[in-house]
Amino acid sequence: MKPANEFLIKDEKVYSGALSCRGCGWSLLARHLASILGEDTVYVAPASCFSIISGPYPLRELKANLVHTVFAAAPATATGVRAALDRQGKEDTTVAILAGDGGTFDIGLQALSGAAARNENILYIVNNNGAYMNTGIQTSTATPYGAVTTTNPGGGFKRAWPKDLMGIIAAHNLPYAATASLAFLEDLRRKAEKAKKTQGFRLLMIDGPCPPGHKTDPAESIHIARLAVETRLFPLFELEGQHYTINYRPEKYIPVEECMKYQGRFKQLFKPENRHMIEDVQAHTDQYWMRLEALAGM
Amino acid sequence: MKKEHSQNGITLEAPLEESSGKYPRHIQVVMKGNYAAAEAARLCRAGFIPAYPITPQTTIVERLSELVTEGKLDATYINMDSEHSVFAAAMGAAIGGERVFTATAGQGLFYAHEVLQAIAHFRLPMVVCNVGRPSIPWNIWSDQSDSLSQRDTGWIQFYGESSQEVLDTIIQAYVLAERVNIPAMVVLDAFYQSHTSENVWIPDQNLVDRFLPPIQPGEMAIDVLQPKSFGGLIPPEHYNRLNYNYWKAMNQAEAMAEEIATDFGAHFGRPYGNVEAVNIGPETRLVLVTISSITSTVRGVIRDYPEVGLLKLRLFKPFPKEAVKRALAPLSKNAVIAIVERNFLGDNEGAIMQEMKRALYGSDLRMYDFYAGVGGKDVPPVTIEKIIHRAFHQPEEVNWIDVG
Repeated sequence: MKPANEFLIKDEKVYSGALSCRGCGWSLLARHLASILGEDTVYVAPASCFSIISGPYPLRELKANLVHTVFAAAPATATGVRAALDRQGKEDTTVAILAGDGGTFDIGLQALSGAAARNENILYIVNNNGAYMNTGIQTSTATPYGAVTTTNPGGGFKRAWPKDLMGIIAAHNLPYAATASLAFLEDLRRKAEKAKKTQGFRLLMIDGPCPPGHKTDPAESIHIARLAVETRLFPLFELEGQHYTINYRPEKYIPVEECMKYQGRFKQLFKPENRHMIEDVQAHTDQYWMRLEALAGM
Repeated sequence: MKKEHSQNGITLEAPLEESSGKYPRHIQVVMKGNYAAAEAARLCRAGFIPAYPITPQTTIVERLSELVTEGKLDATYINMDSEHSVFAAAMGAAIGGERVFTATAGQGLFYAHEVLQAIAHFRLPMVVCNVGRPSIPWNIWSDQSDSLSQRDTGWIQFYGESSQEVLDTIIQAYVLAERVNIPAMVVLDAFYQSHTSENVWIPDQNLVDRFLPPIQPGEMAIDVLQPKSFGGLIPPEHYNRLNYNYWKAMNQAEAMAEEIATDFGAHFGRPYGNVEAVNIGPETRLVLVTISSITSTVRGVIRDYPEVGLLKLRLFKPFPKEAVKRALAPLSKNAVIAIVERNFLGDNEGAIMQEMKRALYGSDLRMYDFYAGVGGKDVPPVTIEKIIHRAFHQPEEVNWIDVG
């Protein structure tokens, strides 16, 4: 896969001045998505970092309608918006949810499952940065094993595995779901285009760089996102019904610590007494990859 | 003493044989309250119905599903995953400019609380039926604690005495909600209304269409050509201004509801008011204040008590302060007010007493509160008589009647 560059965006569909932190994935993601989805889109956003990034009243980052809604119910609100547009003959207008991992893995999971099971004609985008970053880095069920957050009583870092959202999504037999990375923009854009064209419920999960939350150098966001894919911590794959396709197989086997060492949230795992936890992450990552390969071979 | 019925509806006093042919361009049908609510949604041409079942609301959404299936209602009907999602979907479709209807009860309304606030503060018109029931320990019977506890969410609230009144009020509530851009809730009693058959006059569709024109998407509707951001982070000074505007609109709602109810009478032959006063005059020594179906029981009882009157509240939110004051104005200074509460909100006084005190601040009238029928406990005529006797003979400020 060739490195991508800024010229991928021919027609900018965002205004300048997004309120994201330096090195945040949200604003780059929004730029690419908006350039593909176009102005004939109604975005729906539950509470998340993007609620802020998209601009306070009366400002607006996206050149399209954006409906902010309650934390737990973006897929339900989007269901209502979709129904209204369809009743008015606007079937071609895209309805796209922009959510974080808290609004997807945790508080919004029920509404997500409901909309997915109904196969609503909605595109769901989750920017997974692995914690409640907007409120200041609290643990979510997407938070990686071993990561530091501000809510990990009795040890300071998480000791449970993150939820397998894509596994849950696969169980809903969706027409299209995929993972994507900002370090693999052509792949991301292809998936966004495919998702836009597909009818029914589609979901894209993007690995979300977050310098304050991951304790990383903002300049390293894309580098670390690339390493997450190269180390198989964040595999790139697609799902159509029960059919899996792995989109990128790293040429070399790179240990997970090569990605984790750039992230201050994993710093404590590099102490001698915790090194075994990096091995746990490696074993978990290898297992997940093997499972993916098995599923893709079916 | 001659009783004055300033408002009618289908009253207990109206014999059925006299009713036939009473209302031109209506048909008379025997139906349960929940079916009357569903019929009203059909007549109002609700376009979007998110649904989730809960006893005793269920037959409303079942009937709506049938109406859509039978092609009698052109609506998008979606089975949601919870009441929270029902109201969130209702919000989305209302932002999309559709006329929305749904129904819930008890826990469902409590669960939707967060979204009720959001819908109201988005200033989205819609009408929702609530079939009143309380919370845990599990109780599915008639009680208004659910909707009355939501009185501060910013919704307009009506309480219907009969199935006819529920149907008629839903029609009026759409007109009001769409005029002031505030959502409205129409409440009926569990089982006593929801599952009890009554005679209901159903108006012709074109009669309703003339009274309730198609919804006009307002400022808060999605327009793809003129994109907006809805509900994003708003600085304090703007939030304050939005609430000021909301307050102004809510202040107009009481008079507007009265005007719409009067217009409704001219169109359909059944006039309503925000309140109904029965037998309230200078000779009246006691006025019972009621909402919902207990009103009908009181009507029957006070026939034998010429010195007792009735004040029925049909509009509860905004509280019809002006109408209440007007209705009680003929009373002598020695008259007593007794309020019948089928709700318990965790305070000394029930919800209606709290509002009545607010409305009558500065008045010399003595007011006593009577909890009766909480959790669906039956309130037969004898209970009303006990309230009357207690109100005349050294009542406490707040009383519980018939605690078993």
